[in-house]
Amino acid sequence: MSSGKSRNFELIAGLILFEVGSTTLFQMGVEAKQDAWIAMLIGAGLGFLLLLIYLGIYRRDSERDLFELCRHYLGKWIGTIFALIFALYFAYESSRNLRDLGELGAFALLNRTPLPIIMLITLLVLANSARYGIHMVFLVCVVLLPIVIVSYFLLVIMIAGEGMIKFEYMLPVLENGIKPVWDAAVPEIVSFPFAQTLLFLVFFPLVKKAKHLRASVLITYIVVAVALIVINQINLLVLGPTIVEMTVFPLLQVVQLIELAEVFERMDVLFVLVLFIGLGTKILLFYIGAAIGFSQITATGYKKWVIPVGLMVYSASFISPNFSHHLWVGIDLVLNRYYPYIQMAMPALLLMVMMIRRNKRPQE
Amino acid sequence: MNKLGHFRLRLKKQKNAKLQDPVSIDQGISGQEESVNLTSSLSEKLTVLRQTLGGSSDFIIREFVHPGENAAYAAICYIDGLVDQTQLNDLIIKIGQEDINGIMVKDPFRNVKEDLPARDTKLALTKSEVIQAILGGDSVVLIDGIKEAFTVSLPGGMRRAIEEPSSQTVIRGPKEGFTEDISTNISLLRRRIRSADLRFEDRFIGSLTQTRVSVAYIQGIANPDVVKEVFARLGAIQTDSILESGYIEEFIQDVSFTPFPTVMNTERPDSVAGNLLEGLVAVLVDGTPFVLLLPVTFFKFFLSSEDYYQRYDISSFLRLIRLFSFISALLLPSIYIAVTTFQQEMIPTTLLISLAAQREGTPLPALLEALIMELTFEVIREAGVRMPRVVGPAISIVGALVLGQAAVQAGLVSAAMVIIVSFTAISSFVIPTFSMSAAARLVRFALMLLAGSFGLFGILAGIIPLFIHLVSLSSFGVPYFLPVAPLSMSNLKDVFIRVPWPFMKTRPAYISMQNKMRQPSAGKEGRKEK
Repeated sequence: MSSGKSRNFELIAGLILFEVGSTTLFQMGVEAKQDAWIAMLIGAGLGFLLLLIYLGIYRRDSERDLFELCRHYLGKWIGTIFALIFALYFAYESSRNLRDLGELGAFALLNRTPLPIIMLITLLVLANSARYGIHMVFLVCVVLLPIVIVSYFLLVIMIAGEGMIKFEYMLPVLENGIKPVWDAAVPEIVSFPFAQTLLFLVFFPLVKKAKHLRASVLITYIVVAVALIVINQINLLVLGPTIVEMTVFPLLQVVQLIELAEVFERMDVLFVLVLFIGLGTKILLFYIGAAIGFSQITATGYKKWVIPVGLMVYSASFISPNFSHHLWVGIDLVLNRYYPYIQMAMPALLLMVMMIRRNKRPQE
Repeated sequence: MNKLGHFRLRLKKQKNAKLQDPVSIDQGISGQEESVNLTSSLSEKLTVLRQTLGGSSDFIIREFVHPGENAAYAAICYIDGLVDQTQLNDLIIKIGQEDINGIMVKDPFRNVKEDLPARDTKLALTKSEVIQAILGGDSVVLIDGIKEAFTVSLPGGMRRAIEEPSSQTVIRGPKEGFTEDISTNISLLRRRIRSADLRFEDRFIGSLTQTRVSVAYIQGIANPDVVKEVFARLGAIQTDSILESGYIEEFIQDVSFTPFPTVMNTERPDSVAGNLLEGLVAVLVDGTPFVLLLPVTFFKFFLSSEDYYQRYDISSFLRLIRLFSFISALLLPSIYIAVTTFQQEMIPTTLLISLAAQREGTPLPALLEALIMELTFEVIREAGVRMPRVVGPAISIVGALVLGQAAVQAGLVSAAMVIIVSFTAISSFVIPTFSMSAAARLVRFALMLLAGSFGLFGILAGIIPLFIHLVSLSSFGVPYFLPVAPLSMSNLKDVFIRVPWPFMKTRPAYISMQNKMRQPSAGKEGRKEK
């Protein structure tokens, strides 16, 4: 079984954990204030269009992964550059999430443990997982998925049951028109988290019997997007738009407010573990994506790249001197300036080239 | 008729204590002289046998007169203690009977055959055949002037009776367990499954022990690839001895370096029968009541055969209890360490105060305290297994009073820690299979160290590698973490819960590749018509 292909459901489990990932950690669309849900809806909608592009690429050539596609359709030089950019992008995303995880761990669980130690242990665990290959990682996602789903489900029920949600925070809808909402959504929310599904172009060809893959990916995307919007909005409805803007990890703040029978008071500690599972999956999948990329580009074995990519991810996670800088780089620098090209322009170009070359071929 | 006058009985016991040089022994065992035929002279034959067996004191030759053509000398050879003496005497009397009609001239072994029709008798031509028969517990009749030897199976000697299994007990269900004798064990299985499709195939493994290993499976249900693989792996074993099924288990398991067992053992015939019907393959080894079952999945180790005899609702509840116990045996001490050392905010205030008051006087950090207590318990547990039964009460007094109560009163350990360790210990006894609870015991210590260093984060950092290790394991090609990963909905009917028998229509997927239906669908329609 170890060398076989993954099944449809296993990839879907990975996709769900990946999408949930670190998204619930941060508040999306804070600039849109109470209309964050509209901003997220716009983001998710545009992300859906991007996903259609990615799936279009996959449908045209379901045998090759992203890196092979680049080199096959864009020629050796441009293709290699594209593949390298994608691989570096995956490695960088992995390192960003690793930093997020480290900061979250230091903030919520291990106040006195140095950040590099937390991140090192995380990376060791993940590098060990990456060593087993993507099929085993997807299988573990199947095991972890019920835990994550049940936790979020219980969380929402408890928050609702305690009457913490104040719907008046929703109003007024579109106080300043659609413009600030649109600005909050594009390109930030599109890029993070929704357009990150680009990574799955690496994994789609590894699925066996991919008959209903397109449909199930799209349905999963919609369901997860709705769930993310609900959780994001719950943060806002519990804390109010002003506090939510100021807290670093609003969901943890919300969980902390839950009091159940005077026994379960600090469930945020347990919930951090659930967040870790999502974050860890995200780091790991990006990590594996980057390792596959580098092994394809250099035509060497995948396992040889596990440790180098791990070192790369680990050292890249220290680029920012502190968390504020890290967040600033993440949101203002890369997200606005570079990600649109990587996530939108490059795949769109790839798809166009694929369509043109495909139309040409019969004439030749 | 006084038969005694016809033959002289001579009991010969070889008391030659000198060992033959090892070379000749090796030759005898490795079968290099396989093709050497026996000579016709009785004395030569006996000398050869005596030499081959090195004059071992349990090798016995009884000589007498065979009333054949010329009333030739004859001998019967056997190993003391492996044959039934009464039957052997009967046999000698029969062979020595006066040859009234002269039929013995035509067929010297006629009396043997006719008198013992039910016994396994056969002609042996070569020396190695004779040696193997003698060592296997047969008696061999040799006659002067006749080249062939005649082997008669007269099994005897002391054997343990069928008793209740000591390591896997049930409240409801059959109370008999396997014994050390493989033929008894095979008969216990055959009595449960009276089908022509139940097959036993034997192999003799171990160059010195020549242990009989029998592979049982149901033709048409068991996956033929797995059966083939079992024989291939058994055939690949190169060893001089197999004394217990544990040897076989370690030789044929998929991965050596894992705390988790990928082959199951049981001493319950009903459990083996039930698993054979699900398409598993059983490996019976002579000399041990523990029978191997494969391929197995992780969750199989939490099932007791009683689950299928009790009502489905209580069985399902008990299965969940067992899984919970496994998790607490694995995690409880580490969670306690993590919470008291790193995440005190999780503990409700009142409990926190009482815990803090208890720990006030204790000199050690929680991790060290837990490690010492867990190790102490492991020592008590090992002592409980190894000690002579007469000193049993002493252990329980020392264990319960001195190490528990007195240690708390002396302020060496906190009372909460004693509770945690005790509950962990009891939890580990709930797991029906010993090999799986042993895995939990080993992994527990690693998790405790991680929890002591990094708290809950450390536990998570320990569980994730554990999960990926479990998921990557396989037992004879079957994924170990089935049916969770890969997810198999139809197998879930008999894992965490057990559905009532009328709904168990199919055998578990992945294990049996053919003949999947347990109950023909006609049964369902018949019920509906009513």
